[in-house]
Amino acid sequence: MTDMIALEQLTKNYPGQARPAVDKLDLTIPEGEIVILVGPSGCGKTTTLKMINRIIEPSSGIIRLQGEDVTRADPDELRRRIGYVIQQVGLFPHQTIGRNIAAVPRLLGWSRQRIADRLDELLHLVGMDPATYLGRYPKELSGGQRQRIGVARALAADPPVMLMDEPFGALDPISRERLQNEFLRLQGQIGKTIVFVTHDIDEAIKMGDRIAILREGSTVAQYDTPETVLAAPADDFVKEFIGSGASLKGLGLARVREVSLADWPTSQISAGREAARRALDSSDHGWVLLLDEQRRPVRWVEARALQGEGSLDRVGLEVRAIVEPTATLVGALESMLGSRVGVVVVVDGSGAFLGTIDMRVIMSAVEVMRAAAHKRVLDDRRRVHAGQEPPANAIAAQ
Amino acid sequence: MSDRTLVGDVPPHGEDDAFLGNDDAQALVGGTDPTRGTRQPGSRSMSVAVKARRYLGFPAVLALVCVAVGTYVARADLDDVERRLLTFDRIIDATLVHLQLVGISTLAVIVLAVPLGILVTRPAATRLTPVVVALGNVGQTIPSLGVIVLFAILFAPGFKGAVFALVVYAFLPILRNTIVGLQQIDPFLIESARGMGMSNGTVLRSIELPLAVPVILAGVRTAAVINVGTATIGAFTNAGGLGGIIFGGIVQSRTPVIVVGSILTAVLALLLDHVLGVVEEVLRPRGL
Repeated sequence: MTDMIALEQLTKNYPGQARPAVDKLDLTIPEGEIVILVGPSGCGKTTTLKMINRIIEPSSGIIRLQGEDVTRADPDELRRRIGYVIQQVGLFPHQTIGRNIAAVPRLLGWSRQRIADRLDELLHLVGMDPATYLGRYPKELSGGQRQRIGVARALAADPPVMLMDEPFGALDPISRERLQNEFLRLQGQIGKTIVFVTHDIDEAIKMGDRIAILREGSTVAQYDTPETVLAAPADDFVKEFIGSGASLKGLGLARVREVSLADWPTSQISAGREAARRALDSSDHGWVLLLDEQRRPVRWVEARALQGEGSLDRVGLEVRAIVEPTATLVGALESMLGSRVGVVVVVDGSGAFLGTIDMRVIMSAVEVMRAAAHKRVLDDRRRVHAGQEPPANAIAAQ
Repeated sequence: MSDRTLVGDVPPHGEDDAFLGNDDAQALVGGTDPTRGTRQPGSRSMSVAVKARRYLGFPAVLALVCVAVGTYVARADLDDVERRLLTFDRIIDATLVHLQLVGISTLAVIVLAVPLGILVTRPAATRLTPVVVALGNVGQTIPSLGVIVLFAILFAPGFKGAVFALVVYAFLPILRNTIVGLQQIDPFLIESARGMGMSNGTVLRSIELPLAVPVILAGVRTAAVINVGTATIGAFTNAGGLGGIIFGGIVQSRTPVIVVGSILTAVLALLLDHVLGVVEEVLRPRGL
């Protein structure tokens, strides 16, 4: 994988301030990834971002874009190659949505027809109807719609790189989540290299292919995948920053299909009580799961309810806690907590029984995640010590 | 200005109805029309009748006042002195001179103060802003009579000196509004414009100035209206204008002459205020 952006010894001193806002930062941004700069306020993450398109001029150091040193290139030319989205969106209130989005293409001298085609394409891309919205003014849009247009405007001239400064920070939680999801879907199609600043570690974990956790002076505390950062924080600063909910956040990333499911005694309803009793007796569980003809879970039954004779259609409890393999472990855990039996049933797409998840499965999943992340860090460290070219996430091991 | 929505919006007797109907209600309906986003640019989604009434109603009232004054001058029982001071030729001549005093001085201020306002709001020159505003303040703090007499002494008494004095006097409102108009623009708009690769010049032309236009024009309006009043004092230094009629009346102790001169000055100020208000509305960028 090539590096789209490389920052070398990048420094920003402000006059009258003893310590640099950004202090000799080295950071590489791989092509096609979302890299999140996250850290407490005042850590210099926004300054770092704004030095990449030189809205803030660096005091020293080098910025490379696609290998080319752009530290002293014409800033206007440079910025037309970099999409820029800010929290306040900054749509021009006196221009229509169409004209706002067309700003960079017009600067680049695109033909009228090419711009018109691109406008249609972009509005479809961000899920808004061109006929309805192109002629409107920004004040006629909701906050979420404005930020969609902000993203469309940044994408207008199809730049390889996008810089986003807390783009969803000013939105209400529901709009924010919706836009985050939309943006991830969009990124799946466009595959841009994105540098994204946030102070919200949850947003960082959700949006980032990699997270750079910065401390004061924009010093990298850890630069790694969200999974590794959560499972193996590099130091106490990172640990404190990601907070105590790290394991829970990790469970939000892991899917049910990634863990080995626990087995459980089952029996077909049609096989009758005797079969169900045998299934229960041959295990150390207190409940047996009854399945229908298509092996779909129907009822939980205890030994007591299996005494006597008759059909099994009505005995025991209805099976409520059911998840599919695509669910997150957090989702599974939540269902589990709501279940009388304390177990979640996992079914495939057609509803047939695959296995169960209980507390032990969750615990071992957490352990596996931790172990895997530790192993990655340790492998990186070994490579560094062996003098091999360290991968980008080796910084975490230093 | 052209209006492409026009007649289609107006029912057959729309114009008559509009004249009888409720002003504000009509304007309000036009102003909150939810479909306006898709209308043709240039149309402010007001019917012609509503527009005509808004733009021409007040001038019509002022015209009536002028007719009344003219009738009075023609019919009233005036003595010889009054007859000599209040001829139609004199009145028309004085009005034209007055308009020239105001027009030339205000245009000169626009040409000087707007670029100066732009200059001192550039990031490199922000330190100059207080100095320049302080200088502008000096012009306005000195009593208008003082400014006019001072410039009559410095230059020549008469028209030219009065124009210079009015320029000094009207400088501050336009300068200050230009500065405020540019400073009130959300800095994030400028950041996002610069961030997408617009040069400083392009940002000024296509973002800052259009957004500052309403505030700058408000300054022009204030300055012009102030100048109509201040220009009457120009009569002290023989600059002519409606002040000449008023002072003639004062010198000869003829109240009807003073009243006619004062009413005409007031009409001129109100008319100019109204016209510039319309200009403000028309030039205001859509979407604001």
